[in-house]
Amino acid sequence: MSFLSVRDVVTAYGKIEALRGVSLEVAEGAITCLLGPNGAGKTTLMLTLAGILRPRRGSIRFAGEDIAGRAPHAIVARGVALVPENRLVFPAMTVAENLQAGAYQRRDKNTVARDIERMFARFPRLKERAAQQAGTLSGGEQQMLAVARALMSRPKLLLMDEPSLGLAPLVVEEIFRIVTELHRDGVTIFLVEQNAHMALKVAQHFYLMEQGKVTFSGDPGSLAEDEVIRRAYLGSAKS
Amino acid sequence: MLVDFIQNTLDGLSTGAAYALLALGFTLIFGVLRRANLSFGPAIMFGAYCATWTHVNFGAGLLLLALITVGGAVLAGAYVERLCFAPHRGGSAIAAMVASFALWMQFEEFATLVLPRHLYAFPMLHEGDPIALGPFTLRADALVMLGAALAACALVWGTLYRTRFGLAVRALIEQPAAAALAGINVPWVFARVFALASALGGVAGYLVIATHGQITPMLGMWATMKGLLAMMLGGLGSLPGAVLGGLALGFIEAHSQWYLGPQMRDLIAYLLLFVLLAARVPWMTTRSAS
Amino acid sequence: MDDYAIGVLTNITLFSFVALSAYLLLIAGEMSFGQQAFFGVGAYAGGILTALYGWPLPLAALAAVALGALAQLLVALPTLRLRGLYFAMATLAAAEMARILFELLHWRRSIDGELAGPDGTQGFRGIRWIFEHGIEPLHYLGIVGVLLALVLALFLMLERSKLGATLRAIGQDPELAAAVGIDVQRVKLGVAAAAGALAALGGVLYAHHNTYVEPRNFDIMLGVHSLAYALIGGLGTALGPLLGVLLDIGVLESTRFFQGYRMIVFGGLVAVVLIYRPRGFLDERTVQWLRQRFT
Repeated sequence: MSFLSVRDVVTAYGKIEALRGVSLEVAEGAITCLLGPNGAGKTTLMLTLAGILRPRRGSIRFAGEDIAGRAPHAIVARGVALVPENRLVFPAMTVAENLQAGAYQRRDKNTVARDIERMFARFPRLKERAAQQAGTLSGGEQQMLAVARALMSRPKLLLMDEPSLGLAPLVVEEIFRIVTELHRDGVTIFLVEQNAHMALKVAQHFYLMEQGKVTFSGDPGSLAEDEVIRRAYLGSAKS
Repeated sequence: MLVDFIQNTLDGLSTGAAYALLALGFTLIFGVLRRANLSFGPAIMFGAYCATWTHVNFGAGLLLLALITVGGAVLAGAYVERLCFAPHRGGSAIAAMVASFALWMQFEEFATLVLPRHLYAFPMLHEGDPIALGPFTLRADALVMLGAALAACALVWGTLYRTRFGLAVRALIEQPAAAALAGINVPWVFARVFALASALGGVAGYLVIATHGQITPMLGMWATMKGLLAMMLGGLGSLPGAVLGGLALGFIEAHSQWYLGPQMRDLIAYLLLFVLLAARVPWMTTRSAS
Repeated sequence: MDDYAIGVLTNITLFSFVALSAYLLLIAGEMSFGQQAFFGVGAYAGGILTALYGWPLPLAALAAVALGALAQLLVALPTLRLRGLYFAMATLAAAEMARILFELLHWRRSIDGELAGPDGTQGFRGIRWIFEHGIEPLHYLGIVGVLLALVLALFLMLERSKLGATLRAIGQDPELAAAVGIDVQRVKLGVAAAAGALAALGGVLYAHHNTYVEPRNFDIMLGVHSLAYALIGGLGTALGPLLGVLLDIGVLESTRFFQGYRMIVFGGLVAVVLIYRPRGFLDERTVQWLRQRFT
């Protein structure tokens, strides 16, 4: 049984179907990535998995439970956390408060405090800025904060939507180093990325999505990298 | 002249304290829901009328009446939230706001049915003479109003910045999408923010009728107008702005009334709001209203 | 038909004008809390012209309508770039200012040895033109009915025209409308003038029907009711606001059963209906469906 199993999910905005029957699986403990051109529906899928959007049809099963259409806070309670596109930190709150917010559902104050210390150890730059307002952080720092915030809920499955968006190459490398670290620590990761090159370097399995459907599934060696990159940016329709 | 100015300022600040509470209530709801609740004043009036009814039929002490006012306002606020705002979350803002008008109509008619006379006496906080402080007179109940308003503000601040609930509220105000992703139960928080806002309004309403010693069915409209005005003056969506807006409104009204009379007092407040909106003063127009 | 029924029907017709005025702004995407002010402008202007200066009603009505349009333009110009709640609050502020100005308005003239005219909060009595000219209540109902029918015909023509589509486009997505070349500002000003004219028309007719108006008639409750009528009746067609008025004044008023509970019932009805039909009974989808079934 797969850790996360998505079957024929359809999500629509009014009359427009953004997801037209998506099926995929995420294996436990692995890094799985989802590539595809802009507008393919990748973010819509992430938002559907996180419960922000309700699917019209289809099923989403996580660790044996049906989570399709559940409220976002219920999905977090079941161990799924999303690092959203554009990070969406709480700008007027301090870095520390952002982390507290991520741990909102946890009542064990002492362990939360220890987890915050561990986040600071893993992300030293955040520790330097612990009392600073999150809105004043750089893009890369905000991305790290968003990841740390999501980790505060101790998720079993971490969803990441375009973590490298708008970041300088050196920062992108750092982000992916953290992704690998998390993987080594046993966190299952499902990652949406535009940067196909970096994503393929870390993933065990990948999917290609175009126009609301999955068009390819395989491991990083199964398709020539330049073919993957071409399809990830341009789609497979002939120009 | 200076004595008048200071006296008016003092009077204005104490009324402004009530306005600040009203504006704070409006702003909490707006900050979290991005919508204006036009039944805010009428819900307060509902609480005040429950208290008046109790007083008229059974007689009751100040504290009990205060509790009934606040309790009634919270109850009415929950009714409004369930019927007007919960169903339209993520939907039409206009439908939510018009629905809140519709309930306003209900509250107004209810008030006139329960207590048919236009004016009722209400026990005053302080029956005695004003305190003389040099050339100034301070009414004891105005001081109580100022004190209670300050205490309420401190309570709101403490809640927002020192409690888990407050963290959730701030998260919703700052970044609603991410708040849900952080595991915050958004509908639950909305309902409780409404309750907090209604309670603040109830306190403001009680203070006002207990210092004036009377209540009329105009209380609903009055509270809504003043709350909205103060909230907009201080900058829509800003909590410190709400308090400053309320105090500023009180200040402006007290002076306008002294020099120009009660009608000009209201006219000036509305004119100020209109001009500030038309000029699209940045502090007033930055928050998006969905 | 007895006098009571004539009175109810006349009221339905008169309030339809101000409901249509709110409706017009709503489909162009703006929520106005202030149409009652222009209703008042029409009432006062028309009343002053006929009662104090002996103008004939048709002429006074024209002048009142023009003044109403002008007044709404005066409010619309500085607020053109405001949206949503900011615009609504600006209209509210303007309307309350108007109401206070009515309270301060003393325009007295000696007519036949007696002082007549608006007297601040005491109101404006003696707007008796229709009685002085022997127009029976039933005839007056006929007149206002015909005027409303004309207005409705204009609206129905508007719905089918390019201008109507433009209005709805602006209402749904002003940025998109501007991007396809629509001069949003100009259209909005036109809508404002039309809405002001409509409200003022209702106002002048109302004043002459009642023979007495006071500033309290033009408070926010009227504005709130107009919006509620437009929204519950439905934003899909000009018949929507009419339905809203009919529901409140017609059904609830004339069935004495609801005596004293009218606003409680109507208010509850509006809130509940909006949950299931956020754009009213006759919303765009329903109107389309009806059109398809019957054409």
